[in-house]
Amino acid sequence: MLIVFGLYPVLYSLWLSMFKRNPATRIETFRPSWNWSKVFADDRVIDAVSVTLTYTLIALTIQLVLGLAIALLLDSDRKGFGLLRSLMILPLVVPPAVTGMMFLLMYDGSFGVISHMLYGLGLLSPSTPILAGGTSALWGVIIADVWQWTPFMVLIMLAGLRALPKDPFEAAAIDGATDMQAFFRLTLPMMSKIIALAVLIRGIDLFRIYDYIKVMTDSGPGTATETLTAYAGTIYFKNADFPYASTVALFTLILVVIIANLFIKIFKVRF
Amino acid sequence: MHDSTLKLTLRYLVSIIIVGIFVFPIAWWGLTSVKPISAVFDKDRIVVFDFEPTLENYRVTVLGYSKRSSKEDGKTLMGTSGNNSYDGRSSIVSSVIVAVGSTLVTTIMALLASYGLSRMRFWGRTTIMALLASYGLSRMRFWGSQGYLNWILSQRFLPPVAIIVPLVFIFHDMGLRDTHTGLIIAHTLINIPIAVLLLKSFMDDIPIDIDQAAMIDGATRFQCFWMVILPMVKGGLAATAVLCFVFSWTEFLLSLFLTNSIRTIPVKITTYVTSTGSEWGYISALGTSAILPSFIFILLVQRHLVRGLTMGAIKD
Repeated sequence: MLIVFGLYPVLYSLWLSMFKRNPATRIETFRPSWNWSKVFADDRVIDAVSVTLTYTLIALTIQLVLGLAIALLLDSDRKGFGLLRSLMILPLVVPPAVTGMMFLLMYDGSFGVISHMLYGLGLLSPSTPILAGGTSALWGVIIADVWQWTPFMVLIMLAGLRALPKDPFEAAAIDGATDMQAFFRLTLPMMSKIIALAVLIRGIDLFRIYDYIKVMTDSGPGTATETLTAYAGTIYFKNADFPYASTVALFTLILVVIIANLFIKIFKVRF
Repeated sequence: MHDSTLKLTLRYLVSIIIVGIFVFPIAWWGLTSVKPISAVFDKDRIVVFDFEPTLENYRVTVLGYSKRSSKEDGKTLMGTSGNNSYDGRSSIVSSVIVAVGSTLVTTIMALLASYGLSRMRFWGRTTIMALLASYGLSRMRFWGSQGYLNWILSQRFLPPVAIIVPLVFIFHDMGLRDTHTGLIIAHTLINIPIAVLLLKSFMDDIPIDIDQAAMIDGATRFQCFWMVILPMVKGGLAATAVLCFVFSWTEFLLSLFLTNSIRTIPVKITTYVTSTGSEWGYISALGTSAILPSFIFILLVQRHLVRGLTMGAIKD
């Protein structure tokens, strides 16, 4: 079971990536370097890498800052905060595909509630719907992602905050430290491990984003929101070039592994 | 503690506003599902509460009544009488079969495996842990492994798109494609490593002395597991089962690729978006029905959620 379903598909992908597919005859010939040299020469791959990186960095930063802030806000034993914390995790259980649809509905140019709010504020005009512009479409998807996954950050940060020892904070309060000082000098350093772990987990997930892009923009407009996995999906579905799809997917994997390992080395993530 | 009343009020206010923002899309979604078509598609203004609530959308998607053009003439639309393409009943049934099936299989297998891994020392144990953590559908080891927790994280590395192609071929050859059994197997495969590691982390919390005491009193290994450990790990078991259920219930990519006629809800729902526009009423009705069960379940095990989502790496 382990070998059939775990290792075999990866090896098969690698094997597949060594074939050149002739789109007309559908004959696959063994040319190990064909797809791999194509990956590095493909402008769409380079575009996709930059979209993926932009997407990951922006979404990760927002989720981290928001997650930490909301966790600090909700970390209280007073009445009502328990209920607020429960409500906060609601977005996590919504299927990502449904999340995409939800935001599609709210973004809709003619009857979407978010669109109408933005029209009211004068930030947007009905002639340019959110998901129709290159930059705004990317932001649209990022907002859906942030909505769904900030609660995840909040949960992890809350767990981290709860695990902090009380003594240093009492000592700091006696010494006259302000809340700000206590946060930057005590909370942040003590939370650094958990923050690094959370960033790693989310970062890897963000790098592989597929559902939202597929449901919301399908890589469009043009290729403005085409991430690496979305591109692989497009090659698979639309061009039916399975070897090249495998190559792009493996290329993504290699990239993730390198970046994640660099991150682990630099920030000395230990579990 | 030292918060002034003003500060506290402010904190409540800000908290409620922020949580409100996060709840809003779901509330809006629920609201849309009971709106009549005219209120959903109102171009001039946003209809918030001033509409006649209707369960029409649920009648069509959940109960499978045929779509009606209007209430007055009661005619079916586009002459597709009896054939209701917005009927979500079969997808609900599929989702339930697959989610419940894979949850049962996963939990039982994980329970036995995690007990063994938690309590016994045997040759190849570390390797099995590592394999467990690394195999499966979106799993792969990465070089310079630093202990098995890295393996757990590493399972999140591989874009599922990368192995979906070979997987479709394998499932096709085994005759598992487009069957409930196939999807149950696929979901079980994704969930098992998470379930095992999670359950193991709960079992590790139970002191091994308890096992030893039971065994000294003459209990066999199995009795010890069944009568002593199992009752103690009940909470963790429930949490694991719920997480497996939610993962399977919300899974999109595998269901999309591995099935044609059997559609789980997340996949079915995307088919409601058509080239002539989306039937938002039906989409939101089915979507709300899809969210409700997992939300109820997840609230029940909220305490264990952090551990579950980090697969046992962070203990709350």
